[in-house]
Amino acid sequence: MVLEVKDLCKTYIINKRQNNVLKNVNFTVKAGEMVAIMGASGSGKSTLLYSVSGMDNITAGEVKFLGKDISGMDENELAKLRLDKMGFIFQQMYMLKNLSILDNIILPACQSGKIKEKHNKTAERGMALMHKLGISEIADNDINEVSGGQLQRACICRGMINQPDIIFADEPTGALDRTASGEVMEELERINREGTTVLLVTHDVRVAARCTRLLYIADGNIEGEYNPGRYTGSTKLRERERQVSNWLMEMGW
Amino acid sequence: MYSHILKKDLKRKKTMNFVLLVFILLAAMFIASGGSNMVTIFTALDNYFEMAEVPGYWFLFNDITDKEKYEDFASENNYGCKSSEMISANADNFKIDGRKFDYSNIICIETTKEPLRIFDSGDNEITNVSDGEIYFTENVFYSEKNNFKIGSKIQVTINGVVKDFILKDYTKDAICSSSMMGITRILVSENDYNYLKKGKPGVLWSCNVYTDDKDYNAKVSKIDVSSMARADYNTIKLMYITDIVIAATILVTSICIILISMVILRFTINFTMNEEYREIGVMKAIGIKNGSIRFLYIVKYLAISVTGALAGFIASIPFGKLLLKSISKNIIMPVTGSYIINLLLAMVTVFIVVLFCYFCTRNINKISPVIAIRNGETGERYVKKGFIHLSKSRLAPVPFMAANDILSSPKRYMSMVLVFTLGILLVIVPVNTVNTLSSDKFIELLNMASCDHVISQKMLVTENSSGLENVREKISSLKKELEKNNIDAIVFQETCFVSNIFFNGNKAEVMAEQGAGDINDSMYLYIDGTPPENCGEIAISSVVAEKTGAGIGDDAEVQMGGETKKYTVTAIFQSMQNAGATIRLYHGEDIASKNLSGVLGIQVRYKDNPGSSELSGRKKLLESLYPDDKVYSASGYVTSMIGDISGQINSVKNLVFGVVICINMLVTILMVKSFITKEKGEIAILKAIGFKDISLSVWQTLRIVIILLVSAALGILLSSPVSQLLITPIFRMMGAYSIKFDVNAFEVYLFYPFFVLITASSAAFLSSQGLRKIQASQASNID
Repeated sequence: MVLEVKDLCKTYIINKRQNNVLKNVNFTVKAGEMVAIMGASGSGKSTLLYSVSGMDNITAGEVKFLGKDISGMDENELAKLRLDKMGFIFQQMYMLKNLSILDNIILPACQSGKIKEKHNKTAERGMALMHKLGISEIADNDINEVSGGQLQRACICRGMINQPDIIFADEPTGALDRTASGEVMEELERINREGTTVLLVTHDVRVAARCTRLLYIADGNIEGEYNPGRYTGSTKLRERERQVSNWLMEMGW
Repeated sequence: MYSHILKKDLKRKKTMNFVLLVFILLAAMFIASGGSNMVTIFTALDNYFEMAEVPGYWFLFNDITDKEKYEDFASENNYGCKSSEMISANADNFKIDGRKFDYSNIICIETTKEPLRIFDSGDNEITNVSDGEIYFTENVFYSEKNNFKIGSKIQVTINGVVKDFILKDYTKDAICSSSMMGITRILVSENDYNYLKKGKPGVLWSCNVYTDDKDYNAKVSKIDVSSMARADYNTIKLMYITDIVIAATILVTSICIILISMVILRFTINFTMNEEYREIGVMKAIGIKNGSIRFLYIVKYLAISVTGALAGFIASIPFGKLLLKSISKNIIMPVTGSYIINLLLAMVTVFIVVLFCYFCTRNINKISPVIAIRNGETGERYVKKGFIHLSKSRLAPVPFMAANDILSSPKRYMSMVLVFTLGILLVIVPVNTVNTLSSDKFIELLNMASCDHVISQKMLVTENSSGLENVREKISSLKKELEKNNIDAIVFQETCFVSNIFFNGNKAEVMAEQGAGDINDSMYLYIDGTPPENCGEIAISSVVAEKTGAGIGDDAEVQMGGETKKYTVTAIFQSMQNAGATIRLYHGEDIASKNLSGVLGIQVRYKDNPGSSELSGRKKLLESLYPDDKVYSASGYVTSMIGDISGQINSVKNLVFGVVICINMLVTILMVKSFITKEKGEIAILKAIGFKDISLSVWQTLRIVIILLVSAALGILLSSPVSQLLITPIFRMMGAYSIKFDVNAFEVYLFYPFFVLITASSAAFLSSQGLRKIQASQASNID
C-alpha cells in the first residue's frame, strides 16, 4: 500500500468561523494505481491532495505513506519525503525562471542526493527523461521559450527525476489545450504503466477516463468510487469517457 | 471609487507598502539630516569666528618694544588694533587636585580684558570671572591624562606666589582652543591676575589686528618686528583642521547617505510598480483611462510618501544632532531654532518619490492591456536568463541558485551593490586617514626626520631657552647616557628660528628649521631636488614655494633677527609644521644663538631596529633619565603637536561605522522582505518539491553574501583612489601636498569588510525566516 488515509479531517478558521473542508476521509492507494479525485469546485479535492502529500498539515486523522504515519512528521522530515519519494505536478507550470528547462528538471535530484552522482550524470538522466517525453530539444531553453504542453511535460520530468514512489498531480492539464492535454496524460499513463503510482485531482472527464480508479468527493467526504480498470486501448477512450460521465452524473456532478 | 481601490490596495499589499513606507522614512531621515548638516557645517566655522570677533591678524609678543612697534604700524595704517597682557607660564606652575599638570605647550594666564570674545561650554560669552575661579580651554580640559573635572582644585604657583582656584568650566576660545596652536589660554579674575603678577612672571602680549587691507602683507614686510607667534584669519581657521576634517567626514557621509536614499527609493518604486502591472492591465482592459490609472498610483505613492516623509522628518532631528555632536564641542554651532530645512528636505523626498512614480508609470501609456496581463505579475519582458548551468556546475543547488539569480538579473542587485560599496568606502576612507595620521612615518610630514622616540621638554619655546649651546649639550649628554646602557643610537633635535623669506618681491613669514646633533639633511623627506649640502643652501616647503614663487635653483633672501642673507633653494619638501610655512637650513649653517625661538623634542633613532618590547623598555629608560619630561613614540609626538586629530576622526569613524552597519542591516532586511514577497511562488514550488526552509533561507542569504563580497571587493579597490580624492585636499590645506596613505591591511581588507559581511548576512538570514510562513501548498495558487 502506498497511501492509507484514515479519518482525515481538515478544518480552516476563516473570520472566526470554522470551515470543515475534509470530514473523516478514508481511502487507500495501492502501488501501481492511477487514482483520480473528482468533485465539484470547492468540494475539497485539492485540499485532500495537499493534505495526503504532506504539503499541508491536517487537523485530525492519519495519513500513512509507505506504511509510515506522516501526520506527525515535522516540516524537515516532510520536505525530505517530498524530495526523495514524491513527485508533484501543478496546474500552473511553475518553474524557476532563472534556470533553463534542464536545470529546473534536475534541481530536485541535485538537492536530494538520493542517487549519488555528479551533476552531469544527473543531467544525462534528465535528458533521458526529456527524450522519453519528447522534449529533449528544449533542454537549454528558458521557460518562456516553450509551449504550455512542453512545460507541463518538463514538470513531469522534474517530478520523475528522483524516481518517486508516487506522483501527485493537481489539475495537470487544467491550463492546457486539448492536444497538449492528451499528450501530457499519455505520458502520465506511461509512467504509471512503468510502475509509478499516480494520484491526481481533475475535473476533466477525459483525464479521469485514463485512470484506473476514480474517487468522488463532495462536501469534504468521499461519496463514491468507480473502478474502470486500466485503460488498455481495447475499449475506445470515447466509450470510457462516456462511462465516467455517466458515473459522475449518478454522483450528482 | 479611487479611495476604495486605494484602501483595498493598502490592506492587501501590506508587506510591500510597509517596505516602501520604511524606505521613504529612511530616505527622508537621511536626506533631511544630511542636507541640514551640510548647511550647518558650511556656515559653522565662519559664524563662530564672526561671533568670537576673530581678528584678521593675531600676534603674540614677548618683547614690549616689538609690541609697541607693531601698534604704531597699525595706527599709521588705520588698522583696528587691540592688545592685552598675559602672564607666561608652563605646566610646572600648576597642580590639579594635588597632581602634576601634564602639558608641554605655552600657557598664558589672562583676564576677560582679552579683546577676543571667549565662550563657556554652554556657548555663553564669558564677560566676568569671579575671584577664585579659573577656566581652561576645551582641548586642555578634555585631555584624558589630566582628568579635569568641573570643580577640580587648581593651584597656581608663580615664583612662590600661590593661589588656589576652582575649575569653573572650559572655554571655547577661537584662537587657543585648537591644540595645533600650541598655546593655551587660562582665564582668571582681574584681582587674581594682579595677585599672581606679584610673583613677577614673564609677560606676553596678545595683539589683535582688524583689517581687510589687501596690501597688508606688503606693508608689514617693511617693518622689522619679531613675534613669538602669529597667525592670520585663514591660519587660525586652519588650526581647526580637526573640526574641518570631521566636518568633511560628516559631509561626505551625509552625501553618501543621500545617494543611498536615492538608490533605495528608485529600487523600491520600480519594484513595487512592477508588482502593479497585472492590475494595471486589468484596469486598462475594463476601460479606465491611462491618466486615471496613473493618477491612482501617484495618489497612492503620494499618501505613502507624505506619511513616510513626516516620520522621517521627526527622526532626522535626533539623527542629525547625533552626527553633529562630535564637532560641536570645540566650536559654536549655529542655532537655527527651527527645523525648516529638515522639513523642506523631507518634502523634497515626497517630490522625488512622486517624480519617480510619475516616470515609472509612463509605461502605462505605452503598453496594451494584453501585454500587461500576459507578462504576468511582474510586467517584465523575458530576456535570456542564466549564463551558468546547474548541469555543468559543481556547485550545490542552493549556492548555484544564489549565484545564478544574480547573474541572471544583475540590474536587480545593482542598488544593493551601490549601497554596500558606498558603506564600505565610508568606513575605509576614515580608517586609512586615521592610520596615516597615527603612523610613525607621519612625523616626516612635520619636517622632522623619522625616529623611534621623542623627548618633549617644557620651557623650550620661551624667551629664556638656553640657546643652541645648551641644545648641543643636552644631545651629547643623552647620547652618553645611551652609550652607558649599551644602546647605539643617533640623537638629534630640530631648532626653530622665526624668519621671513623674500623672493621676487614676495614675502612669506616662515619658521626656519635646522637639525642639531647626529643629523644630516638627507634624513628628511623631500619631494623634489637634493638636500642642502653646503652653507648658503636651503630647502623650502611647497607652501613657501607657492607663496613666494621660488623654485629649485633660485636665490632667495632669508631675514632673521634683523639680518638678511641670500640662500640657494636646492630642494622642495612638504610640511605640516607651521601650516606648511617652513624652510630648512643646512645643518652646518652657523646661526646666531640669539635668533633661536624654540626647539622641538629631542629625537632618538636606534641603530639596531629594536622590537616592540625592547622599544618599550628603552622608553622606560628615557623616562627615568628625564623624569620631568614626556617621552613619546614618533606618532605620539605628532599627536602632541597637532592634536589628537586621528583620535577624533577615529571616534567619528566609529559613529559612521555604526550608521553604516545600521543602514546596511535595514537595507538588507527590507530588500530580503521585498524579494520574499516577490518570489513567493518560487519559494512555494521549491518547498513543494522538497527544499527545506533552512535551504531556502540559505539561498536568500547567499545572494546577499555574494552581493556583499562583490561590494567589499569594489570598496577595497576604490578605497585608495577615493581616500586620495577626498582626504588629499585636506592634507594639502595643512601643507602636505602628496600623501601616501598608510593602509592597515588587517583593518581594511579583513576586519571592516568582514564585520559588514557578518552583520548584513545575519540580518539577511534573520529576515529570510519570513519565508517559513509560505506554505508548499501555495504552489497551487500562485498569482
